[in-house]
Amino acid sequence: MVFNSLPFLIFLMLFLPLYFALKGKSRLWWCLAASYFFYGWWDWRFLGLIIFSTLIDFTIGAKMAIETEEDQRKKLLWLSVAINLGVLAFFKYFNFFADSLQEAVSVFGWQLSWNTMHIILPVGISFYTFQSMSYTIDIYRRDLEPEPSFLRFATYISFFPQLVAGPIVRAKTFLPQLRRDHAFNWDNLYLGLAQMLWGFFKKVAIADTLALFVDQSFGSPHHYGSLHLFIGVFFYAVQIYCDFSGYSDIAIGLARTMGYRFPVNFRTPYFSQDFSEFWTRWHITLSSWLRDYLYISLGGNRKGYWKTLRNLMITMLLGGLWHGAGWTFVFWGFLHGLYLILQRMLSPAWQKLHARLRTPKVLYGGLNILIVFSLTCLAWIFFRSTSFDRALIILERMASLEGFSWSNVINKFAVLQGGFLIGILLLVEVSSFQLDYRRRIIYQPVFRAFSFGALLWLIALFGTFGANAFIYFQF
Amino acid sequence: MHLYISNFSLTQFRKAEPFEIKYRLRLSMKQFLWIAGFILLVLAGDRLGGYLLRQVIEGSEFRYSRLYTGRAEADLLLLGNSRGLAFYQPYIEEKTQLATLNLSYNGLPINLAAGLVRDYYDHYPAPEKIVIDVSLCDRFDDQLIMNFSPYLPYSQRIDSLIRLADPQIRGGLGLSHLFRYNSEIFQRALYYQNRSDEGWVVERNLSEKESRSVAEDYEFIIYYPEEAPEILADLVRYCQQQGSEVQLVLGPYFPAFLAKMSNLETYISTIEQATGLPVHNFSNTVDDFHLFADFQHLNKAGSKVFIDSLFQMGVLSSRTEQALE
Repeated sequence: MVFNSLPFLIFLMLFLPLYFALKGKSRLWWCLAASYFFYGWWDWRFLGLIIFSTLIDFTIGAKMAIETEEDQRKKLLWLSVAINLGVLAFFKYFNFFADSLQEAVSVFGWQLSWNTMHIILPVGISFYTFQSMSYTIDIYRRDLEPEPSFLRFATYISFFPQLVAGPIVRAKTFLPQLRRDHAFNWDNLYLGLAQMLWGFFKKVAIADTLALFVDQSFGSPHHYGSLHLFIGVFFYAVQIYCDFSGYSDIAIGLARTMGYRFPVNFRTPYFSQDFSEFWTRWHITLSSWLRDYLYISLGGNRKGYWKTLRNLMITMLLGGLWHGAGWTFVFWGFLHGLYLILQRMLSPAWQKLHARLRTPKVLYGGLNILIVFSLTCLAWIFFRSTSFDRALIILERMASLEGFSWSNVINKFAVLQGGFLIGILLLVEVSSFQLDYRRRIIYQPVFRAFSFGALLWLIALFGTFGANAFIYFQF
Repeated sequence: MHLYISNFSLTQFRKAEPFEIKYRLRLSMKQFLWIAGFILLVLAGDRLGGYLLRQVIEGSEFRYSRLYTGRAEADLLLLGNSRGLAFYQPYIEEKTQLATLNLSYNGLPINLAAGLVRDYYDHYPAPEKIVIDVSLCDRFDDQLIMNFSPYLPYSQRIDSLIRLADPQIRGGLGLSHLFRYNSEIFQRALYYQNRSDEGWVVERNLSEKESRSVAEDYEFIIYYPEEAPEILADLVRYCQQQGSEVQLVLGPYFPAFLAKMSNLETYISTIEQATGLPVHNFSNTVDDFHLFADFQHLNKAGSKVFIDSLFQMGVLSSRTEQALE
């Protein structure tokens, strides 16, 4: 079930009244049943996988808490990590690794042959696996007490607003919230609705509208001139941001209406002035997960200069692989790893240069934003392309500047409409630096009515309706 | 079941002082009034916006706006998908001295095209001639049909086609008037607000490099819906019954691309069998890549060459020639 569909709207209208009418255990049961129903709507067979993950980590967490021997605790942690990553590796990466191995040995003239299995990727497996793993790792690190109630733990793992595409909410953030009953609250409702509407606007009006142009551009790049492809890549950068942050907004807003606070997942990432900042503003819950559980576990920046660079690269490579079972995703991670490394190497000299030239602060900031955004777009080309060949065709055609004219852009109306919608996005996001929209939504009923109304009118005028799935569902 | 809503909690009501109950009731009443006001505001804004955008549609010089507002009477009707844009109207009018109306649109499917032509006959006297590029039988396109929603209030046929394509979307169009203008067609109508669309043609030039890249394209097969030729045949009969002469043509393709079209002959003969009319095949009449916008579309210069061929083959003729005949 996707958020931008009629069945979900009906589901929500049935779910919420009873949610507020119940309290205590019965409310948790209701949440759990609704979450399993929500997930099972896509494919009920994979419910078993969530329940399996839940049972494993709940049991291991409980055992680890009573275990005093450090060795035993470590073994339990490794067991949890191995099972979680094993399931993920099988369902998400089996064919990828098998195919890659076949290709690798064929270089030496050897032949490995086996039938590739048709493994269906369970929606959201990367998200709930990481969420579940954070629970056992935090217990191992003694950052978290094990959850005594299986019902509460199962609700935490499967909670439908963030089950399939995040944000990745950690146990220590969410479990304490599940211990309290959240009463209906008008402020939560308004703030939650505002965030959901903004998320829907970003997804249905911006991301899905841009998707039509983007799909054309990446689908057959050899048919288009370079300006068309430049626009296509720029639109993809906006599309993926609106698609994913739109989903996060809907999830966070939905949780807010129910009284829960989820962590922020995006903070205008394309305004970042360097790549470290970018990763504190893009998919924050994943990047902080990778930082806390992978980068720091590898030694972080405590083991010298070169090992810090190595750790950055490993983290980004695995981050790329997390996104998808394909070498283009790994290369995307590699590029971001490279950006972070180069930044560490070059930024002192870059800063000195600007200090010597006395570049105005605004110009310096603007230039940094432009560089980070352009390099991010370059990496998106590999992320979006179905193969390296396709990505290289796009890059080659863009670099050639052949057909770099407005008359060579196909579907100019889509470009104009996309530009208009991106303008609205920029206006709202930039103005939110100055204006406290949340305060206005709570305390100014007229502002609230007109802003909600404006979003609904914009969705009616520009929305693409057809329940297009969110990009991050595939991850 | 315990009702657990902060402003209404029954337990809290039992414990609360009367002034507190009054305060909570007032607060809740305020919120419900806000919700009622909000719903009214959304509906009023939607209807007002819908009304204003309808004025845009009615004032536009776009072909379908003219069609539905009594400003499109013509002696010669032209019809096709994006390839039909090669019927470059200003040049045809100059050569024929006839008033023309080109109803072609990018990806126009035959079922929608048939509805538009019938709507034309409902509003105007029958044209002398209708020229149809038969490549418009190559698809049905529900998405494009739904894009014609701005003209929903003017055409029962468009209404039925949208209802058939997606009843849910049709329901949404009834609920929200703004939603009717969520369409590419509306954007075009907006674009042609103060300018004529008669010179609309695919304005691009195929480069030499692109013309060589046709080798990268695989074999091209025209997949057409089984019912499409029959719908065209119905339309042809209808036009003939109304007293119009019907000419079927197939416009030019880029030669190297044409060579990759494996079932063109079968496609043409299927159309001819269904309609009982010959298809004037111009598919291989233009070979200079400068005259193409891409492999399937002529640019303005190419369109003029194609139109000259239409005259040479007698598909089109000037008013003087007609008088002599």
